[in-house]
Amino acid sequence: MNSDFALRTAGLTKRYGRLTALDDLTLEVCAGEVFGFLGPNGAGKSTTIRLLLGLARPTAGQAWVFGVGAADVARAHRLLAYVPADVALWPQLTGAEILHLQASTGPGVDYAYQAELVERFELDLSKPARTYSTGNRQKVALVAAFATRAPLLVLDEPTSGLDPLMERVFRTAVAAARDRGQTVFLSSHQLAEVEAVCDRVAILRAGRLIQVAPIGELRGLHRSEVTLTYTGQPPNLDTIAGVQDVRQPGEGRLRFTLTGPPGPALTALADADITALAVREPSLEEIFLDYYGTEAVR
Amino acid sequence: MTTVTAPATTAGSSVPVVPGRAVTRLGVRQIRRGALIVVALAAGMTALVAATYDSIMADPAAAGSLQALAGNPAIRTLFGEPVALDTTGGFTVWRVGTVIAVLLGVWAILATTRITRGEEDAGRWDVLLSGRVTLRAAVIRHVAAVMTATVAAGGAVSVVLLLVGAPSAGALVHGAGVGLLGLYFVAVAALAGQVFPARAAATGTAVAVLGVGLLLRMVGDGIIDLGWLRWLSPFGLLALSSPFHQDRILPLLVLLAATALVTATAVGAAGHRDVRGGLVATSSGRQARLLLLGSVEAFAVRRLSRPWTGWALGIGAYYLLIGATAVSITEFLADNPALAGEAANAGFAELGAVEGFTATLFAILALPVGGFTAVRMGAFITAETDRQMTLLSAQPVSRLRLLGAELLATAAGAVALATVAGALTWAGVAAVSGRLGLLAAAQGAWNILPIVLLSLAAAALAAGWAPRATAVAGALPATGGFLLLVIGESVDAPGWVRNLSPFAHLAPVPLHTVDWPATLMMTGIAGAMIAAAMIGYQRRDLRS
Repeated sequence: MNSDFALRTAGLTKRYGRLTALDDLTLEVCAGEVFGFLGPNGAGKSTTIRLLLGLARPTAGQAWVFGVGAADVARAHRLLAYVPADVALWPQLTGAEILHLQASTGPGVDYAYQAELVERFELDLSKPARTYSTGNRQKVALVAAFATRAPLLVLDEPTSGLDPLMERVFRTAVAAARDRGQTVFLSSHQLAEVEAVCDRVAILRAGRLIQVAPIGELRGLHRSEVTLTYTGQPPNLDTIAGVQDVRQPGEGRLRFTLTGPPGPALTALADADITALAVREPSLEEIFLDYYGTEAVR
Repeated sequence: MTTVTAPATTAGSSVPVVPGRAVTRLGVRQIRRGALIVVALAAGMTALVAATYDSIMADPAAAGSLQALAGNPAIRTLFGEPVALDTTGGFTVWRVGTVIAVLLGVWAILATTRITRGEEDAGRWDVLLSGRVTLRAAVIRHVAAVMTATVAAGGAVSVVLLLVGAPSAGALVHGAGVGLLGLYFVAVAALAGQVFPARAAATGTAVAVLGVGLLLRMVGDGIIDLGWLRWLSPFGLLALSSPFHQDRILPLLVLLAATALVTATAVGAAGHRDVRGGLVATSSGRQARLLLLGSVEAFAVRRLSRPWTGWALGIGAYYLLIGATAVSITEFLADNPALAGEAANAGFAELGAVEGFTATLFAILALPVGGFTAVRMGAFITAETDRQMTLLSAQPVSRLRLLGAELLATAAGAVALATVAGALTWAGVAAVSGRLGLLAAAQGAWNILPIVLLSLAAAALAAGWAPRATAVAGALPATGGFLLLVIGESVDAPGWVRNLSPFAHLAPVPLHTVDWPATLMMTGIAGAMIAAAMIGYQRRDLRS
């Protein structure tokens, strides 16, 4: 391998006239990891991927695929397979013919695994693409990509048209790719998906990179929500370090958020007569809301 | 008993009283630019030719050469039977009537299938029809938009003819004929769009109807015993209406009735099918055909093969007809030395020989073959815009190779089309025991390839730098160049203007030998344009 990084960008910027679609993105994706690329619609995820694939040229900055410049598509694309966000197929070709075309022009295919994927995704390959639904078009592109031996898979919102059952098949395929040592770059606005399969996540908003963190760390950086019921006097939490947003949602109930180590709060609670206690980890959805504010989440 | 009322719409939202009007506006928006160009071309070409009439007729020598020109079979086949050439209106109708009719017919077909079946095929009608508009209403409103444009084109022709002082009866008959012909092809395209579930099949069928109609008129014009064939062709009916000569209404009524029938069938069909479906069902499954899917080059050939067959059929049929009639026409000219002499004076030397006759007709082969390259490059860009190209662009294939494969396949297709034309001309001549060598016929057909290459290069250049202009740019060297020469000769434009047309540099092959310096020059210019195209295509963002 030419580089330790499957993907690397430095100051990657794309402007369309006065609109800045992507602003100074510097990012490194290690070989072998499953990397989530999160952001709401219009954040610049697809623009980034088009730049990484050399489908569009950056206004400034550079991108590399395993050390190969993204503009050198003939070499760079030997190292990757791609599933676009909105898959369009040649309407007159059948699924089998499209897989054959992709295989014979692509970076090499594991035909046994391809057959297995076709079965698992329950794909009817004899139909012309004209008759495929959105989900089926996506399945064709997914089968073509997962069946390659390319060391990097670039997937742009690949499950938007899949039903929950097929999403599970997709997650299994991502896990299998990871086990084979393939790197997966997964763009998504579905938090559950990223939460389920990714090792690290980058968050993009309005063309800017907000944060890159391992999934676990992203959660740890943020609060837990504690809900408790008590009898008698309410516990006094006013001066306790890490406790915020103390609210009383009902008679004998208390809710607050907790950041950092829970020791001091637990000590304070020990003095009160607590009858029930629930600690909830925030979902990525809530972390998202923290970054973007409510108005930015669509 | 309780009454169930429909839930009120959200307060503050405005609901259009007639939702269909929005659909009409959508239809109009999609064709307005093309419609303006077609109406302007129809009016402009009519005005230009009518304006030159007096100056041409003032000069007896020019008037004489005009008669010879009218006798030239190439011009006759292209422009139709000359009647009433001694009037402004008659001259104008003969000179540009067929050209405008073909232009309007082709535009009507392309526009209709694009905004009806094309939009439906692309899935955009799914959203449109989820509103309050039915499929039938959407079809009617889109078809009406194109029909309005064709009526406007016919009206513009009438107005121009009236303004230049032509008799009003002839002006109205001709304008009505042109407008009706446009309406007829909108109806045919609309029906094809209901029958076939794919835009390409619908367009192909409608264009085939146009081609057959044109051929019927040519046969009907050429062979007196078969003159009745013209009643079966919209172009024939237009000729039969004989503007400024007989001003017959009956042929126009026949055309109107045919148009009404086809329109009613199309609208009826629209009410009896599913959205995205056609009356002809797509096969639900088939065996994989893996031929020509092994590389981007092979795939370019595969995508080309079906449309190529359609072009080859049309061009082949025309040149077979030319070959078959060549002997009788050249013998007629040989028997009329005065006529042949005048033709020679007008620059059509040795029309009395099959070689001379075919040479003049091979020159216009550049129009359809050049058009073929422009349309194919346009389809290449459409595939990019519709994102079908995205998966291929993400393969380890350089942009240079993607565009190169397309250019190679298209160029090979163009050479094959020219070869088909040459071979069938030879076959036509041979069938009536005429004398024309196969190699001579092929050379005559291949002689126009530099112009075709210029068309391909111009389309490629646009694909690299201004992809939206691809089809138009590709049409410039052949169609534009031909019009420039014809118009330039009509208005007696300075030599350098006429020399801008590549047709001015075409030797009459097989009558004479190939003009190699001009051929190499044109090929060189095309090569430079393709090199520039490659640079642009490599640098620009793909459209998707």
